[in-house]
Amino acid sequence: MNLKTTLIVAAVALLGGCAATPPPCDGPTTRNLDAAVMHVKDKLATGCTAQFNGYFDTLLTTAEGNPRPENKRVFSEFLVWTADEGLLSQRQAKDYYNRFFNVKFMTLASDYNTCSHTCPRRDRVLLDMERELSDKERGLLRVSRDDAGYYRADRLFKEVELVLEATCTACAAGR
Amino acid sequence: MYATHARISWHRALAFVALLVPGLASANTNPTIRLFPTTVVEDLRQTSAVAQEMETGLQEVIGRLDQQQQLYLDSKCEGAEGDPGCQRLSKQIGAAYLEMLEIMEARLPDMEHTVNNTRLSLEKRLRSEIGTKMTSWTLQETLIGKQKTNAAAPSPSLRGRSGMRLSERFRQYYQLVASSNTSADQSLAVLASDIYLDMDETSVLIARTREEIARATLIEQLNQSFGAITPEMMEVVGGVKSILFGDAPEDIVIAGPPPGSVEKPYRSPLEQ
Repeated sequence: MNLKTTLIVAAVALLGGCAATPPPCDGPTTRNLDAAVMHVKDKLATGCTAQFNGYFDTLLTTAEGNPRPENKRVFSEFLVWTADEGLLSQRQAKDYYNRFFNVKFMTLASDYNTCSHTCPRRDRVLLDMERELSDKERGLLRVSRDDAGYYRADRLFKEVELVLEATCTACAAGR
Repeated sequence: MYATHARISWHRALAFVALLVPGLASANTNPTIRLFPTTVVEDLRQTSAVAQEMETGLQEVIGRLDQQQQLYLDSKCEGAEGDPGCQRLSKQIGAAYLEMLEIMEARLPDMEHTVNNTRLSLEKRLRSEIGTKMTSWTLQETLIGKQKTNAAAPSPSLRGRSGMRLSERFRQYYQLVASSNTSADQSLAVLASDIYLDMDETSVLIARTREEIARATLIEQLNQSFGAITPEMMEVVGGVKSILFGDAPEDIVIAGPPPGSVEKPYRSPLEQ
């Protein structure tokens, strides 16, 4: 075997080796939530922050496989960690947690009064609440088995819809 | 059908509301939203009194109309308008119909006035207490109350705003207020919204009905000469019945949580 052949064989072997190496930002394959969180933390700590949304979604899917109330704590601790590590701001971490695991709707966060700020965009607000309710169904019901929390959120959505309809009608009549 | 319903007058129901709501407001130690001050309660009381008079006045004549219509159908008068017996029956129905229109003509202005007063009072309170004093976030916190995740806490069930007689609606309002125990602002906000939208809808219906009455009276006076029962007559009677007596009540039930042990919920430091 001459030198040229040796180099070609070495190159082929090297390429084969690369193909077997997992990509640097792969998601967790385990069905155990704690192990999946460890995997994701490891990936996020080594530069895969751009994949955060995908990882979070994967963790939710993993948790759906074993729904239990303790999963709330797992997600909370994970999000606190991401904020401590500076991967997410405190506000982003809170938004993530509350959107999925709290009864309250983050869509309704506002510093201005209902007549001036919420009523002009009521349809949009209600649409966003409906989407958030779908995330709460996933976080509260399918991941955490918090049935009471989810049904309270569902009722809250209907109550807000009714009160906004009446209030915005009253606001419009007062102009 | 409506004649067999239990008669719970607006007057009595709202008298209870009038007694209860100020008591609830005073019992609350938290910053309250004043949606039911005495002026609003007084407007509700007046509305109830007028509505009761109108209900009572119309119930007899509408009951008679129903019986006559049934007799007309049972006698197979449809398609046999030339029959003298059917003609007589038809005239009787027309006379009762005119009587109903006259009662409505006499009562509706008062009804319209009091409904509008109540609507305007509630409108003002909703605009000031929720519209300008609250953000959407504080509104949400008010609706949730202290027990954020306790789905078993007493709360009003939303029932929609149609398909129910007025007196029945107010009986339910009373029950909702009565069951919301210690001045739950969240219940009162929902209740005030529900009553206001009801009043708004009723106000529009009354205005439309008033516009129609003069025309309907004229047409029926003409019809009396010919003894015909028109589909329009049936439609107007149906409309009046739906305003005052509604259709069969329709319960909108929000699913409750499945039975089981209630664990103390985990509270995250991230929770808002």
